[in-house]
Amino acid sequence: MMTIKAFSLVSAVERELLMGDRDRINIECVECCGKNLYVGTNDCFIYHFLLEEKTLPTGTAAFTATKQLHRHLGFKKPVNELRAASALNRLLVLCDNSITLVNMMNLEPIPTGARIKGAVTFALNENPVSGDPFCVEVCIISVKRRTIQVFMVYEDRVQIVKEVSTPEQPFAVAVDGHFLCLALTTQYIILNYNTGVSQDLFPYCSEEKRPIVKRIGRQEFLLAGPGGLGMFATVAGISQRAPVHWSENVIGAAVCFPYVIALDDEFITVHSMLDQQQKQTLPFKEGHILQDFEGRVIVTTSKGVYILVPLPLEKQIQDLLASRRVEEALVLAKGVRRNIPKEKFQVMYRRILQQAGFIQFAQLQFPEAKELFRSGQLDVRELISLYPFLLPTSSSFTRSHPPLHEYADLNQLTQGDQEKMAKCKRFLMSYLNEVRSTEVANGYKEDIDTALLKLYAEADHNSLLDLLVTENFCLLTDSAVWLEKHKKYFALGLLYHYNNQDAAALQLWVNIVNGDICDSTRSDLYEYVVDFLTYCLDHELVWKYADWVLQKSEEVGVQVFTKRPLDEQQKNSFNPEDVISCLKKYPKALVRYLEHLVIDRRLQKEEYHTHLALLYLEEVLQQRPSANGKGAEVTEMQAKLRSLLQKSDLYRVHFLIDKIQGTGLHMESAILHGKLEEHEKALCILVHELKDFAAAEDYCLWSSEGRGDPYRQRLFHTLLAIYLRGDPSDCELVVPAVDLLNHHATEFDAAEVLQLLPDTWSVQLLCPFLTGAMRHSIHTKRMTQVALGLAKSENLIYKYSKMKLKGSSVQLSDKKLCQVCQNPFCKPVFVKYPNGGLVHTHCAANRHTNQNSPSPGNRT
Amino acid sequence: MRKPDVKIVLLGDMNVGKTSLLHRYMERRFQDTVSTVGGAFYLKQWRSYNISIWDTAGREQFHGLGSMYCRGAGAIILTYDVNHLQSLVELEDRFLGLTDTANTDCLFAIVGNKLDLAEEGAAEDQENEQDSSREAGGSCVPAKVPKQVKLEDAVALYKKILKYRMLDEKDVPAAEKMCFETSAKTGYNVDYLFETLFDMVVPMILRQRAEGPPQTVVISDYEKQPKQMKSGCCA
Ligand SMILES: Nc1nc2c(ncn2[C@@H]2O[C@H](COP(=O)(O)OP(=O)(O)OP(=O)(O)O)[C@@H](O)[C@H]2O)c(=O)[nH]1
Ligand SMILES: [Mg+2]
Repeated sequence: MMTIKAFSLVSAVERELLMGDRDRINIECVECCGKNLYVGTNDCFIYHFLLEEKTLPTGTAAFTATKQLHRHLGFKKPVNELRAASALNRLLVLCDNSITLVNMMNLEPIPTGARIKGAVTFALNENPVSGDPFCVEVCIISVKRRTIQVFMVYEDRVQIVKEVSTPEQPFAVAVDGHFLCLALTTQYIILNYNTGVSQDLFPYCSEEKRPIVKRIGRQEFLLAGPGGLGMFATVAGISQRAPVHWSENVIGAAVCFPYVIALDDEFITVHSMLDQQQKQTLPFKEGHILQDFEGRVIVTTSKGVYILVPLPLEKQIQDLLASRRVEEALVLAKGVRRNIPKEKFQVMYRRILQQAGFIQFAQLQFPEAKELFRSGQLDVRELISLYPFLLPTSSSFTRSHPPLHEYADLNQLTQGDQEKMAKCKRFLMSYLNEVRSTEVANGYKEDIDTALLKLYAEADHNSLLDLLVTENFCLLTDSAVWLEKHKKYFALGLLYHYNNQDAAALQLWVNIVNGDICDSTRSDLYEYVVDFLTYCLDHELVWKYADWVLQKSEEVGVQVFTKRPLDEQQKNSFNPEDVISCLKKYPKALVRYLEHLVIDRRLQKEEYHTHLALLYLEEVLQQRPSANGKGAEVTEMQAKLRSLLQKSDLYRVHFLIDKIQGTGLHMESAILHGKLEEHEKALCILVHELKDFAAAEDYCLWSSEGRGDPYRQRLFHTLLAIYLRGDPSDCELVVPAVDLLNHHATEFDAAEVLQLLPDTWSVQLLCPFLTGAMRHSIHTKRMTQVALGLAKSENLIYKYSKMKLKGSSVQLSDKKLCQVCQNPFCKPVFVKYPNGGLVHTHCAANRHTNQNSPSPGNRT
Repeated sequence: MRKPDVKIVLLGDMNVGKTSLLHRYMERRFQDTVSTVGGAFYLKQWRSYNISIWDTAGREQFHGLGSMYCRGAGAIILTYDVNHLQSLVELEDRFLGLTDTANTDCLFAIVGNKLDLAEEGAAEDQENEQDSSREAGGSCVPAKVPKQVKLEDAVALYKKILKYRMLDEKDVPAAEKMCFETSAKTGYNVDYLFETLFDMVVPMILRQRAEGPPQTVVISDYEKQPKQMKSGCCA
């Protein structure tokens, strides 16, 4: 059985003080009221003691009783019961079936001799129904069979107020308000002496076993039940608490919240009312009386008086915690809530929760621990400080005193068990991560985040990076040292960056990429650095590392210039001339950069366009030094060159023509001539040099793009002329000429073509051209007719409306107002809208310019 | 201590598994028990209500306490052991009389426990639906015995209780709804039992609240026939 020390037993009245060596004298009853202790004996004496409590240096309480008086009552009977009524300064003494009143101080009987006769036992009503403070209510079991009587007892008189008869002989009584709780021969009942209504509680054979009826608080009684139970019952006849299980032969019981104390012939047992568990057993031989008086529990043998001193609840709770009985400690703490001032309780309870949390923590019961830490509002640093080196050196934290737990650190707690240690660290990680953004963290976010960073770094945890790239309070120096120690250089860079030390960050990362230091966090660190520089606002850093990134890779490195954020580009904060001169050594990068300027940003500057074209050209020439152009695949570079030549109008054409002369880049030179509007020259090159008739046809199409039909027709005619101009016997150009006509019939002026064609050509040969030309011609004619017809009818419609409007007359008068400005017309000039509305001419004009004003059409 | 809004009491012979049922529901596990001494008490928070559940002792010795525990009860769970006919008989003979002190509108549930031991009800799986228990083979679990008490017997008892309490079948939940077969060991039907009852007592709580202060403070004069003093009989 798990026990707790809830009470200690101390002696109050030594045997010698009472009876000396007279062996036959026994204690019959006791009463304690404030410091007054009364003892009644079997030889009809009452003793009065003054009880002094003092605390020994050891912290335990001790009592000394000083005898004041003793007095013989004048009978040969024992003193059965004593009860003090301090408001009346009276002691009620039951002796020889009669209750007499004596003065509390001098034990003299009162002169009136008022007494209650015929009482077997009695009880005071501690919840009296009369409001009279100078009267106590006494309830007796009468010597008359099955009779209970209720008396009012005043300073010097008594008065019977009620007599009720009970169904069976009563053996014990307690009273609360109008309710009597009675032990009858075979059962306990609640009896309302005012109404006579009774309520059975439960059967109990009072003749076999001594019943106990004890009022324990407002409207609640404690009863001895079957099988050694202590039963609770309210005046309503119900039980609100589970019973406690004491022993079979209990002779006395008392309550000292939250404990029920019971006495049998060998032990004093202590049960908690909160969880019904037995908490303490004190050996106590020949126990005779157990009673509580206003919270003071007195126990006697027949020879001596003892006091059960409760240990302070806090001490009890601490003892429970010390033996790791968290659940019980919490139950006890919660249970005594109402017995402790609220402020004090909250502080105490919070501390208990925290301590309990550490107990669970030490047993690796993390969810429980977490919940306790949370509800106990633990200063997280208490937990962090368990882990060596986690708190920043600058932290001002010191552990609370007295300590919340007995552990110096985690090593001691886990006794060096690495696995346990790892578990604890994982717990702290998740716990800190959870609380860091809550109000628990307020005031020491630095300590928390720094600790978290250290844990992550040590455990090689992914979240390290997340921590550093989001808002955090990691302390720079402490964290930096730790990250370096754990070789988390990439993360260290992030830390520097977070602390606005980009130069340091970059230096670290560059060193990692260069292999000077080792950290494999990111395999794409180079790209990361490029990206970083791309968005880096410190341009000096970009310039500083431009060469480094370009040397690593021209294509990727150039991104630091080409992919800069848009808003920055618009500010043109990097001067293109500077960039170009920087990129001189990196031709591929330079091409990319110029492409960026020309194509992406569409900068309309001749130099960039020419420069780019030239670079393309050089590259093309380099790729095919012995180029003759024929049949060779068009390389990507060549395609880019052509595209630029075609699309841009800014480069210096003559300069490029000079460059391209004799290189065999016919297509390109055709494009260049085309740019100069030298279409004949261009087409000649395509036809004669390249013999690429399809390209020639294409040329006609793209060169004329967006320039109208006649321009295109001219190009096609030029091409046809080139074909036909050749030697007629040279059949080589006949086929393309025929194809050209047949494929593009509609691009020609058929009449003009027919004049040009040699007579020898058959109609069959030109059939598609002729049909096409014919169809086109007819189509054009018909379309024109349709258009003409439509135009005529539209004209007619307008004429009609005009006639209609002119048809009716308009009368202007003072009452006619302009629909726009609501003013009358002063001159016979107005505008009339189709819906009939009249407005001033200037208003109409305004309205046309200002579309927001309401239309008069809406108003009418 | 929070004041409970309603009280539910478990009654039944010793060893039928009252404590185990309650333990299974409250603590979510099955564990060795000792025969209950006196009684025990749990407070269950259900929605916004506090429901007190009393586990009573089935032992003859504590039989006399039953009436007091039942006083003011809103629901009573009469528990028997499906493999032990006598435990059902006892409910009528010994326990029904204890319920006189319960509220007049007190609900009754009849619960046959230890279904896992019965051949028929070899529903080991906690998740099983109520009726599928009949199909389970049960050959794999030894020491099964044919179920001694049929659900119909419980239904018959339920009807007898209504007669005893002089209630009309129309005014109370149907017998089929109030007779349960459970296993505290496997957890079968246990949540269902308690939660069905909780849902049924909530309207009672609301009704009580509407009617005014709980009757636990003053002795209810209107309780069925205040046990007037049997005085005079031997005078
Ligand atoms: N197989 C099986 N055994 C059970 C079940 N429920 C209870 N038991 C066992 O039956 C025995 C009695 O269970 P308890 O819960 O203590 O019975 P009780 O009704 O509370 O008994 P008292 O407290 O004496 O009234 C214990 O050994 C339990 O392990 C069940 O559903 N299946
Ligand atoms: Mg039990």
